Amino acid sequence: MPTISIYHKDFEQLVGREVTIEDIETWLSLVKGELKDHTPATGEIRVELQDSNRPDLWGIEGIARQIRMALSDAMPSSYAFFSSRARPKRRVMVSAGMEQVRPFLAAACASGYAVTADGLTQLIQAQEKLADIFGRKRSTISIGLYRLEAIQFPVTYGLVQPHAASFVPLGFEEKLTLQDILSVHPKGMEYGHILEGQESLPLLWDKEGQVLSFPPIINSRDVGQVQVGDSQLLIEVTGTDLRMVILALNIFAVNLADRGATIDPVEVLYPYATEFGKTIRMPFDFSSPQRVPLHAIESALGLPLGTDVIKQALTAYGYEVKASRHQLSVRLPPYRNDLLHAVDVAEDVAISRGYESFAPEMPVQFTVGSLSPLEETSDLIRDYMVGCGFQEMFSNILMAREDLVDRMKLTDPNEGHVVEVDNVMSQHYSCLRSWIIPSLLQIESASNRAFYPHRLFEVGEVAIPDLSQELGSQTLVRLGALVANPAANFSEVHTYLDLLLYYFVRPYTLEPMQHHSFMPGRVGKILSQERTLGFIGELHPEVLEAWQISMPVAVFELDVGELTREG
Amino acid sequence: MNTASLYDSLHPLEVQVLAALSQSGEARSDDALAQTCQLDLSQISMAVGWLSAKALLCVESETRTVTVVLTEIGETYAMDGAPLEWIVDSIKSATQSATPISVKDLQTNERFQPTEISRAIGVLKKELAIRLVAGGYLELTGVSSPTLQSLKRLLHQLRATTQDLQEFQEFEQQILRQFSVKRGNTHEPFRFEEHIERRYALTDEGKTVGGLCQSSPIEEVSQLTPEMLKDGSWRDKRFRKYTINLSPPRVASGRRHPYRAFLDLVKRRLVGMGFQEMRGPLVETEFWDMDALFMPQFHPARDIHDVYFVKNPSHADHIPEPFLSHVSEAHEHGGSTGSTGWGYQYDRDRARRLVLRSQGTAVSARTLASNPDVPGKYFSIARCFRYDQVDATHATDFFQVEGIVLGNDIHFRTLLGLLTLFAKEMAQARESRFLPAYFPFTEPSVELHVRHPQLGWMELGGAGLLRPEVTNPLGVTVPVIAWGLGLDRMAMVALGVHDIRDLFSSDLEKVRNMRGTF
Repeated sequence: MPTISIYHKDFEQLVGREVTIEDIETWLSLVKGELKDHTPATGEIRVELQDSNRPDLWGIEGIARQIRMALSDAMPSSYAFFSSRARPKRRVMVSAGMEQVRPFLAAACASGYAVTADGLTQLIQAQEKLADIFGRKRSTISIGLYRLEAIQFPVTYGLVQPHAASFVPLGFEEKLTLQDILSVHPKGMEYGHILEGQESLPLLWDKEGQVLSFPPIINSRDVGQVQVGDSQLLIEVTGTDLRMVILALNIFAVNLADRGATIDPVEVLYPYATEFGKTIRMPFDFSSPQRVPLHAIESALGLPLGTDVIKQALTAYGYEVKASRHQLSVRLPPYRNDLLHAVDVAEDVAISRGYESFAPEMPVQFTVGSLSPLEETSDLIRDYMVGCGFQEMFSNILMAREDLVDRMKLTDPNEGHVVEVDNVMSQHYSCLRSWIIPSLLQIESASNRAFYPHRLFEVGEVAIPDLSQELGSQTLVRLGALVANPAANFSEVHTYLDLLLYYFVRPYTLEPMQHHSFMPGRVGKILSQERTLGFIGELHPEVLEAWQISMPVAVFELDVGELTREG
Repeated sequence: MNTASLYDSLHPLEVQVLAALSQSGEARSDDALAQTCQLDLSQISMAVGWLSAKALLCVESETRTVTVVLTEIGETYAMDGAPLEWIVDSIKSATQSATPISVKDLQTNERFQPTEISRAIGVLKKELAIRLVAGGYLELTGVSSPTLQSLKRLLHQLRATTQDLQEFQEFEQQILRQFSVKRGNTHEPFRFEEHIERRYALTDEGKTVGGLCQSSPIEEVSQLTPEMLKDGSWRDKRFRKYTINLSPPRVASGRRHPYRAFLDLVKRRLVGMGFQEMRGPLVETEFWDMDALFMPQFHPARDIHDVYFVKNPSHADHIPEPFLSHVSEAHEHGGSTGSTGWGYQYDRDRARRLVLRSQGTAVSARTLASNPDVPGKYFSIARCFRYDQVDATHATDFFQVEGIVLGNDIHFRTLLGLLTLFAKEMAQARESRFLPAYFPFTEPSVELHVRHPQLGWMELGGAGLLRPEVTNPLGVTVPVIAWGLGLDRMAMVALGVHDIRDLFSSDLEKVRNMRGTF
């Protein structure tokens, strides 16, 4: 989740008092934030925010707001512009057809606050983080900021042909058509895929026909570049999810209001129906009161706090609360939209009161601990192998196809089936191992200088492709054992296998088999009670050559599940 | 050290030497001892060295003898004649054939170096055996050269045997010195070899110990054998005491993998706290890996850049009901969970998409859906995969230790209680701190920080109460704790490993050398 920069002085101004870095570190628990870095020289503090459902906290204003409320223990700021009844004088008209492309838009104006350098940094940071993470790289929401003076209302949000409109985008000196922007502008190349397959493209223009921006790609250089000192702004959000679009606008509106701006609402007129009607006055408070039974909170927290305490805690956390004896009616502030269930309210109560105020209590109900039968068998086998002088190894199980198949001489189409990754990052880690022996050979190959003899084993998981299984593969636990020394041979590993199966009371026979990884005539299937337990053999010199191993190697591999008692 | 224990500590070679000296009663040389004891000179020299160090034996006399031997040059001189002889012969035959010979003529030969020739001419002239005549030619005077005569005889004599320098007459010794190898001139026929003969005698203590050696009828041996035990002959033998503080030879042992041993300890502790182990498949559906955990399908961590997708088959056959429907409802509108849900169109095909398990909690999700015990505690140590660049802090695959606790007495404070127990059992930490955290499947969520005795404050894990949107659709109606512990850092510090990849090292020597206490 996002890591953002906040600045100490700016933070003090927003909180309204002097604060130390230790204060900030303590308060960050209120916002699920973690202090990552602090540079006293510049006052920069890097903070990581954990909660992916609280984009209001992904900026200094939101963090400061949450702390301010906790400090004053008071009702949150009311942000009167949400409730004013006057019809806004500025309007944005949404054209028909937008519902097929990028249906929603929210906008508001801010005035009376001359943007400071710190303020501008935070505006840009919030714009980036919200569009990138909350808006999933601009696909669900994107945000534009404009100099209000240069714009003549009403503004139109409509569709145009890719070649029919042109304007000077940010970062360029000359006019480009929308088509050109998509093919040459860095942002067009980065985000153009969002509009893929659209015959006409979204555009925002004013009464004079002046282009504001080409959402969600790029703003106009002329009106869409806010600078320090600007005191009249237009904020606009477009996207595919109306609630997310409005929430992002609300967050910008309260952030600017916290810095002293007056928010002037904008009326957005849709030609089609939306969840909140065809005409929406933005910013728009869509939160509705939720009824939460008192016991839901008390039983989740394990403490009979009572409605008064809970009401106080929630109020200090930004909620609007009405309480009766057994019931609470809670309403989130308009910059939040993360109340899915009563448990969300319970957590906010706990955070507001501080986790340290809850006395830990040991769960007392009696339970019986145990290992799975598979794990118990694995442990018995591991003990046995260690007793026989084998060094246990532990390998990564994501491997290269080359190691599992090619180097093992299993290139015949009927052999060498492995579970493969589709979105490969590196060929070295593109398949799940289907047997243990390649892992042990990888070690042998890297350890020719290690003191001999080498006796290695691993008990570990493998994935066997099997289309008859629900998941297309089966996860098995296998024992792989390897001996390497100048005289290593079938008989040596057979000794260990024979004794192991004796102790597990598994009478067995070896049946010659064909396996290209092994020397012909020196490999066999391990059979017991008509089931195949595994195989044993001397590795083929070609396999050893492929691994650049210059010692004879003999191995066996056993299915641990087959040796496990039915649970 | 007293005499008896001194005697006990003796090596068999030492015993033999002491016995020999004690028996003869007088000083003996190395050679004499070698003969008496029937040992090699090198064995005698070792024994003498050890005995001198123990002050049981001292050097009584030291005789320095010099013997003369022929060098390779000497051998050729003896066989084909020395330069002196050759010059006289050459002048003689030149005179006979009436072709006078000059110094220069003599020097241009193939047998000797010019310096050898010059030196020989010098000796012959000095002894008046030759002279220089007009035209730079040489002729014999008829006088014989004593050096030439003696040298000839000495070469002949030494060819057969080496001899002490002292045994030669004074003038012979002079000649031998003159023609012997010296520093800076190795091109000579003779070499002197210095030999120091030491005679060893017993010290007073040596006499006492030597007496024991002589009188002791017990044979000393180093290894007890089955035969000795069978026939009881060990009773007549003395077993040499060892120098026990030498480094032993190396052995390739059998041993558990140290990181695995750490995880075994974790496993044991969890079982001790009443947890049952659960297991799950490496390949999972998105349903169990994420959907069942109420992570919306649009969640940013579900991107192609976060999770490994399986190529073939790309989708599971089906997702079992009623779980699929219940989970789908919870995502869309909350279903019967009391939640509003995420409010989006749930994609049932996407639920079947196969991935490599990205979080251990997937194992817990499957357990919740399989009619778990209530009350019940479960854990898994699950191999997980993340789409990360591999580096010192990211392995290709790694283990997550996680689990669930179900019960009617489960709530936020018992969650904190459980975490306090983990802090004590898993990190021996007496102090712990709880911070608000965010996980998509828990609410409230907690991060557990503990003060580790060695590492100081560290994050030990995360936990929370599972959301009803997770438990209800899987058929669980009691509150459930979900927890996960991050133990790798503790293991790495204990094992002295700085790179997480080393926990899965392919280097056998590295694994053999890795050790630590947990």
